[in-house]
Amino acid sequence: MKIIVDAMGGDNAPEAIVRGGVLAAKKFGEDIVLVGQEDKVRAILKVDGTENTPHLSVVHAPDLVDMHDDPATVLRKKPDSSMAVALKMVQKGEGDAIVSAGSTGALLAGATLFCKRIKGIRRGALAPVMPCAGGQMLLVDAGANTECTAEYLLQFAFMGSLYLQKLMGVAKPRVGLVNNGAEDSKGDPLRLEAYHLLKEAGDAGRLHFVGNVEGRDVPLGACDVAVCDGFAGNVMLKTIEGTAKFMSAELKKVFLRSLGTKLGYLLVKGGLDDFRGLFDQDKIGGAPFLGIAYPVIKAHGSSNETAAMNAIRQAVEFTKSGLIDDITANMEFMTIREK
Amino acid sequence: MFERLCNILAEQFGVEPETIKPETTFVEDLGADSLDLVELMMSIEEEFDIGEISEQDAAKIKTVGDVLDLLGDE
Repeated sequence: MKIIVDAMGGDNAPEAIVRGGVLAAKKFGEDIVLVGQEDKVRAILKVDGTENTPHLSVVHAPDLVDMHDDPATVLRKKPDSSMAVALKMVQKGEGDAIVSAGSTGALLAGATLFCKRIKGIRRGALAPVMPCAGGQMLLVDAGANTECTAEYLLQFAFMGSLYLQKLMGVAKPRVGLVNNGAEDSKGDPLRLEAYHLLKEAGDAGRLHFVGNVEGRDVPLGACDVAVCDGFAGNVMLKTIEGTAKFMSAELKKVFLRSLGTKLGYLLVKGGLDDFRGLFDQDKIGGAPFLGIAYPVIKAHGSSNETAAMNAIRQAVEFTKSGLIDDITANMEFMTIREK
Repeated sequence: MFERLCNILAEQFGVEPETIKPETTFVEDLGADSLDLVELMMSIEEEFDIGEISEQDAAKIKTVGDVLDLLGDE
């Protein structure tokens, strides 16, 4: 297996990505190809004394994707950027999967244009794993598609459900439609139509659809796959992140209030560290783009070397999982001919 | 040429080929967004082997007929 890594993408690139690639090559024993400005990448390897790491190689790409570039067109305008070169390597069969911490929009556009969607899939979707009561859940779509049709949402539900089955060992993922009320009559025309499609799939035994879920119930573990359009998903993702930071800061204030509360903090420190660990993005690494014909992992923009390594781990697991074949095998159940 | 183009559009937008007419618009009728349009340009370049469509030409394309005109010019 060969994982192609965009070494120049992300706030801490290339240092963190290169070092994450080295860690991954040592830990997973799969071939890792670092794509980027070769002199910079090799300089980091030289400083660290890791130039001769087994399973690690470097491919030169002189250009960079900037966060200000137009996502839809940048990879055509910058064919020698590290992201474009990496995607084209996968397209040409020179790699099995790609990992990038660069621009989310450019990666989605590039993956769609170069690696193509799975035949029948209308849109790729960003699907981060999020902590929730009772474990973890998948949010699909977390921001790739601001405007969706009901068919897109049906496809997100199937892809999310299959992802949890294949990669996280959830036997029967509970699929919920994120909505402004739990009753089946709730929502705008998109949500009403999507509810109908998801219910049909649920009644036929193809999905374990648990109905509409409200935003507040998603972190409480109401479902394993939270299905929504990318606009709502991105708002939900950022709200959960912000709420977690707010709660954490407020908790800190409480513990710093007096000597007694500080002593109390020492007693519960272990538990609080575990709680904080739930939100540790470095451990998760990144989020898959579901629906692309090859495994594509979007690492966090602020990835450090641990996060980069874990994003590569996700790519390895995704590649081994056979998920893309499973999505293809279920295509007839998630395709609606509209006209 | 029209038939080949219709097949590309049917595949990309999930519509029946026979519903596509020269006056069909990409954005209003087929619901295309900016990524769809770039993807479409790449599919057309590949299918008709015409090299890269310039940004200026791509910006003028609003309908299926506009693509046929472009292909006719090539």
